[in-house]
Amino acid sequence: MKYAFWPGCVARGAAPELYKSTLAVAEHLGFELEELDAAACTGAGIISDGDPYLQDTLNARTLAMAEKMDLPLMDICSTCVGVHRLAAEKLENVDYRARINEHLAPEGLEYSGKADPRHLLWIMLEDVGEDRINSLIRRPLGELNLGPFYGCYILRPERNLDFEQHPHRQHSLEHLIKMLGATTVTYDGMTKCCGFPILTTNKKNSLTMAGTHVAEAADKGADALVTPCPLCHLNLDAQQYDAAKVIDRRLGVPILHVPQLLGLAMGLEPEALGLTRHVVDTRHLLNLVGA
Amino acid sequence: MPEQSFIIQRYDPENDRSYEEQFSVEYEAGQTVLDCLNEIKWSQDGTLSYRMSCRHAICGSCAMKVNGKSMLACKTQVTEAASKGDPIRMAPMGNQKVLKDLVVDTTKFVAQFERAQTWLQPHEDQEPPSREYRQPVEEFDHWSHTSTCIHCGACYSDCTVAAVDEKFLGPAALAKAYRFVMDSRDTKKEQRLRELSSMEGGIWDCTRCFMCIEACPKDVLPMDAIMELRSEAIKADVANNHGSRHYKAFRGGVQKRGRLDEATLPILSAGVRPGAIPELLSYTPGAIRLLRTRKLIEAARRHGASKDGREEIQRIFEEVEGEKQHHDVDSESFAAEFDAALH
Repeated sequence: MKYAFWPGCVARGAAPELYKSTLAVAEHLGFELEELDAAACTGAGIISDGDPYLQDTLNARTLAMAEKMDLPLMDICSTCVGVHRLAAEKLENVDYRARINEHLAPEGLEYSGKADPRHLLWIMLEDVGEDRINSLIRRPLGELNLGPFYGCYILRPERNLDFEQHPHRQHSLEHLIKMLGATTVTYDGMTKCCGFPILTTNKKNSLTMAGTHVAEAADKGADALVTPCPLCHLNLDAQQYDAAKVIDRRLGVPILHVPQLLGLAMGLEPEALGLTRHVVDTRHLLNLVGA
Repeated sequence: MPEQSFIIQRYDPENDRSYEEQFSVEYEAGQTVLDCLNEIKWSQDGTLSYRMSCRHAICGSCAMKVNGKSMLACKTQVTEAASKGDPIRMAPMGNQKVLKDLVVDTTKFVAQFERAQTWLQPHEDQEPPSREYRQPVEEFDHWSHTSTCIHCGACYSDCTVAAVDEKFLGPAALAKAYRFVMDSRDTKKEQRLRELSSMEGGIWDCTRCFMCIEACPKDVLPMDAIMELRSEAIKADVANNHGSRHYKAFRGGVQKRGRLDEATLPILSAGVRPGAIPELLSYTPGAIRLLRTRKLIEAARRHGASKDGREEIQRIFEEVEGEKQHHDVDSESFAAEFDAALH
C-alpha cells in the first residue's frame, strides 16, 4: 500500500515521537510513504481566521500534489485531516477551484476536486482491516484500560467526514482499542476540545479543559489516553502538569499517539516508538503490558 | 406498536435530589422524542417537567440533551435517536443551572446577547427614515443564515468554552453580533469589532471545536460567523491583542518556512512588550519539561518545507496578497464555504 504522506508540522516539531512511531509502524505494515516535503502547513484554522482564501490555496496545493502522484493522501494529525477536508469541501465549488488553481498552475499543479484525505487511524480500519491487524498483534494489550481522546476535527463537522458511508469513523478509536485487545474507558470529555487552540490566548480556559478531561478519564479508570491529534497531545501530555495545577489535583496519565499504540501491540520496542520521550512518564504503562 | 425506553435525568429542587428514572413508551413511526415526553407526562408521571411550545422547531423552547447531544426534542424522531434497542437518554441542557428535571435557567444565555449588543444601532443624530431601514438583498444573503437563530440555546449548551468560562459570549450571541457587524444600516461596526475583540469572553476565546455547528437545529453555522468576526477584526486592525498577534505570528512563520514555527510562536503571540514578561515566564516550567524530553530541540530545529516548496509557498503568499488589493476574496471564500455547508 502506497500513500502520499503529510506528517504535519507538529509531528516534525514538538511531537517527534509521532513521526518516529508512524514510520516504524508503516515499515512494519509494509506501507510505502511518499512524504510531501514541499507541502505547506494546513494553516490549522488559524490562517483562515484572517485569510481563508490563502489557507484554501495552500491546501489545494497539497491535495494537487497527492493527485499528481496518483496516490491517496494520508494524514497523521486530525487537525490536518480536518482542515484538508474542509478545504476540499469548499473546492467542490467549480468557480472557486478554478480561481485557486490559477495560483497552482505556475508549479504545474492542478486540483481536480476529487481528493479524499484520510487519517492513519481511518486507513488502519479501512485499508488494513481487522484480520490483518489481528494477525500482527505480538503484545496483547488486555491489561490496559484506554480512554479515547478524539479531539474535534476527526469528529466534526460531521457533514464533511463521510460518516454515512463509513459509520465506523464515528467510533474509530473505540474500534481500534477493541481490536488491539484493550478495554475502552468512555467518558464525557472524550469528544470535546482539548483546549490547545486557545493555549496562548486564554491559558486558564485552555488548561482547565485539558485538566478536566484527563481527570475525568483517570477517575473512570483509564491507565492512559490515546489520541489521533498531536495538538491534543501537546495540551494533554506536554501541558499536563500545568493543567493539573489549574484544576488543583494530581494527574499523571500517559497520552499515546495512535501509531504508538499500534506499535506497542505489534511488539515494537518503546524506544522505537518514542515512548521514552513523553512529558508524562510512560514507564508504569509499559510495565502493564510487559514492554 | 413498537416500544422505546427512555432514561431521563431528573432533578427535584425541593429536596435537592438528582436521579435517573426509566420510562417505557409505545410510539408510532414519525413520532418525535417530544411526543414521547408528552406521553410520559400525560399518562405516567405528571410531575415530569420540560419546556415546549410550538412543536415545529420554531419557538426554540424544547432544546435538551438527547443521548448527550443538545437538540430540539420536537425536531428529533424517536427512530433517529434510538439505536440497537438501547434506551434514549434524556438530560437537561448543559452549561446552565438546572431548575427542575429538563428545565434550565437560561438567564446567563440570554444575558450574553445584551453584552454583545445584538440590536441595530443606526445614526444617533439623524432622523429615522419615514418608513423602514432598508437593506440590499445581496447583503442580507451574505449573512442570512445567522438570522435564522431561534435562541434555543442548543449551541450554548454544547459549547466547550462556556463549560469552563461563564464570561464567554457563546456561539449564539456572537453569531448575532456578526449579523450586526455586517449590516450596512448599523453605524457601530468598528466599535463593535473592537469590543468583541477585546472584551472578556470575546471572539478570540472560541476553540473552533465545531460543537455549535453540530448542535444548531437551524444551520446558523455560529462558529463560521465567529471566524468571520475574526477576519473582520483583523481586516479592520482594531485590536493588538493575543488573537490577532497569534494569527500574524502563525501566518508569518508559514510564509517564511512553509511550516508552523513552534519556537517563536508563543513569544510573538504574547507580544514583544514589557507586559508580556509574566506570561512568557509562565511558560518556563513547561519549556524546561520539553527540554528534558528533547522536544524543544526538535521544535527549535524549525523543520521547514523543502527549498523548492518554500519558494512556491512564498510566491502564493505574494500572489494572494496582490489579488486581495483588487477583489474582496474573503467574502467570495465565505460564500463558497456556506454554499458547501448547505449542500
